[in-house]
Amino acid sequence: MRGTGNRLSLAAGLLAAGLWPGVAFAATVTGSVIFDGKVPALKPLAMDAEPVCHKMHAGKPVANDMLVLGSGNTMGNIMVWVSKGLPAGKTWPAPKTPVVLDQKGCIYMPHVMGIMVGQPYRILNSDGILHNIHTLPKINPMLNRGQPATVKEMTTSFPKPENMFQVKCDVHPWMSAYIGVFTHPFFSVTSTDGKFTIEGLDAGTYEITAWHERMGTQTASVTVGANDTRTQNFKFVLK
Amino acid sequence: MSETTGVAPPQPHVAHEAHHEELGFWRKYIFSTDHKVIGIQYAVTGLLFLLFGFGLMMLMRWNLAYPGAALPLIGGLFGDARMPGGTMLPEFYNELGAMHGTIMVFLGVVPLAVGGFGNFVLPLQIGAPDMAFPKINMVSYWCLFLGGITMLGSFFVPGGAAQSGWTSYTPLANIAGTGQTWWLIGMIFLITSSLLGAINFITTTIQLRAKGLTFMRFPFFVWAQFVTAFLLLLAFPPLEAAGVMQLMDRVAGTSFFMPEGLVVSGQVLTNAGGGNTLLWQHLFWFLAHPEVYVLILPGMGIVAEIIANNTRKPLWGYRSMVYSLVFLGFMSFIVWAHHMFMTGMGTAMAAFFQTTTMIISIPSVVILTALIISLWGGSIRFNTPMLFALAFLPMFGIGGLTGLPLGLNITDIPLHDTYYVIAHFHYVVAPGTIFALLAGIYYWYPKATGRMMNETLGKIHFVGSFVCMNLIFMPMFIIGMAGVSRRLFDAGTAYDFAQPTMHWNVVSSWGTWALAVFQIPFIVNFFWSIRRGEKVAENPWHATTIEWSAPSPPPHGNFVAAPQAYRGPYEYSVPGAAKDFVPQYEAS
Repeated sequence: MRGTGNRLSLAAGLLAAGLWPGVAFAATVTGSVIFDGKVPALKPLAMDAEPVCHKMHAGKPVANDMLVLGSGNTMGNIMVWVSKGLPAGKTWPAPKTPVVLDQKGCIYMPHVMGIMVGQPYRILNSDGILHNIHTLPKINPMLNRGQPATVKEMTTSFPKPENMFQVKCDVHPWMSAYIGVFTHPFFSVTSTDGKFTIEGLDAGTYEITAWHERMGTQTASVTVGANDTRTQNFKFVLK
Repeated sequence: MSETTGVAPPQPHVAHEAHHEELGFWRKYIFSTDHKVIGIQYAVTGLLFLLFGFGLMMLMRWNLAYPGAALPLIGGLFGDARMPGGTMLPEFYNELGAMHGTIMVFLGVVPLAVGGFGNFVLPLQIGAPDMAFPKINMVSYWCLFLGGITMLGSFFVPGGAAQSGWTSYTPLANIAGTGQTWWLIGMIFLITSSLLGAINFITTTIQLRAKGLTFMRFPFFVWAQFVTAFLLLLAFPPLEAAGVMQLMDRVAGTSFFMPEGLVVSGQVLTNAGGGNTLLWQHLFWFLAHPEVYVLILPGMGIVAEIIANNTRKPLWGYRSMVYSLVFLGFMSFIVWAHHMFMTGMGTAMAAFFQTTTMIISIPSVVILTALIISLWGGSIRFNTPMLFALAFLPMFGIGGLTGLPLGLNITDIPLHDTYYVIAHFHYVVAPGTIFALLAGIYYWYPKATGRMMNETLGKIHFVGSFVCMNLIFMPMFIIGMAGVSRRLFDAGTAYDFAQPTMHWNVVSSWGTWALAVFQIPFIVNFFWSIRRGEKVAENPWHATTIEWSAPSPPPHGNFVAAPQAYRGPYEYSVPGAAKDFVPQYEAS
């Protein structure tokens, strides 16, 4: 009887694990990204051309979002994703929850984002002035649409996977953001502390790519076991 | 003035009797080769497109008066891609703007002024039984029809219709959406239509004149159509070539208008390069400035006929008007670059084109002055066609005079691309040419239908249109002189300097919508009078030119007997004559 009970427990455990693989066997890759070298003195964003935008910041200089550093020169706005090693043929459903891009204070928020193919992309205009959403993809159809003051939101989606491309505003040339479109959910954007976390991976060896809009990409190979957590750090240098 | 001179022999009208068999519906009304049916086809098509193009503008005016506000009632019909929640997106505004200009010029005014009036009236006025090439005439109309369908179809392609303005400037037009390709294909049809028509008009005018109808006995309308045909014939081929080249740039990977290393939205384009964007502007304006006169000259011709008829006087300075017309046509080919002062063409070139532009104003002023002087001492009949013709004079005058600052480099640069330009050319073309065309419709309607249009409805139409046209366009001078760009979809909401002018947009927009209301009497009158209008004989206006000798409506072959011209076209109030008009087709 004991043997039978053990086998039942094992079967129940396996069943539970199968139903909830993210918890039972999911591996995690985490890490942090730091900037190495002399920090450049970036010019603040010049919004003088648009008085409304200028007033939103009370005339104070707005930090350039090209390089966002935390204490210890940790880097924000770094996209990190699994670029190779995922099982061929496996698909992941796109979430129904939209990825949100807001235009607030004449700045795109967030500056860097990831989205899955087919996932809703919700574009907000919190500023109440005319903006323009101009995506510059190489693979996906380009979106180049004005968003007048009274059109508070628009929703679209991207039909094809594509690495990072720019989103810009043709009305306010300083406004810039970047987006990557993936077939899987294994991507993460660092916050100012430089940390990223990619969860839910099966055991295996993966190529992890980290990207910055000016400093390019870096890749690393990471092998994770079931229920494993591995750390992979990146370091960017401005050349 | 009563001598006959050697001209082309009268046409053997008896020849037509040999093929007077009753035609079926399709050959009689659809694929007709009769110049009158084709003229009416052109006119109706032109009027429908004028109405459609005006509708596009009414939508635009909503956003200019009330930027960002949802359009009530009908706003939701345009879908989220164009008007989410009824609010107009800038891309849709651009679509409307580009297609408004294209449709009003190439599918509205030109088909009505040249295709409609030219086809219907010109052969009748010269005493011809038909156009010289009736089948080419039919093909010309159907090319226009295909061009129109293509333009309309472009609204339904992904991304919508063309958004690069009616000028289709490169490189913007080269990299624009699919609608721009349709625009180019449509333009190729429209240009082909005009070229076929021009050949026909020139040949007909020279070869099929009635006996005795010398060139200096031509009604001024015939001269206007004759010169217009030359403008179309000589100016359109460069644009047709340019259109094909731009089409190849878009679909075949050529780079006629695309330089190497062009950066668009921060990215270097991968086109072959070697092209020149300014080349397009030169080729476009080489057509488009003569095109301005294509729009105006038929209008001047119509107004001249109506003024002579309703003042009961000969036109003052007929010969000087004709010489001015020919000179004006010639000069219109060497002024095009005054549209391009902003391109940095250099002082020598700018000086040349400023000079030619100032010179071309002289013949325009001569014609306008002659028409005004023609009123002096006349016993004026203020019927509807005359009211529209009279209104043409100051409206065209305002349009012309306000064009002078745009022809001079130093004043053009601050005014360039502002609402001032819109006001200027609309005064020329809208209350100018379109009033003349409306005058022509009221004037020749009895010839086409055998019935008069209703005078009361006509006068309501006139007064409302006159007031509204000025409400629309006069404020634009003020907005333009404040420096507001004509390209802003929200009328400049974001700019402090535009704020003092915003209320003028409300005035202008309400003027536009009121103008639409005042077209209702015209539309009702137009259709009502076909069956209910007062029946009239062949010459209800007691006019002198040859078309009034034909039955109303004229039969196939036009005239009962071959007409002959015995005198000039405007023998009104001849001293000693039994009546106050002596038709040029009557022997004594």
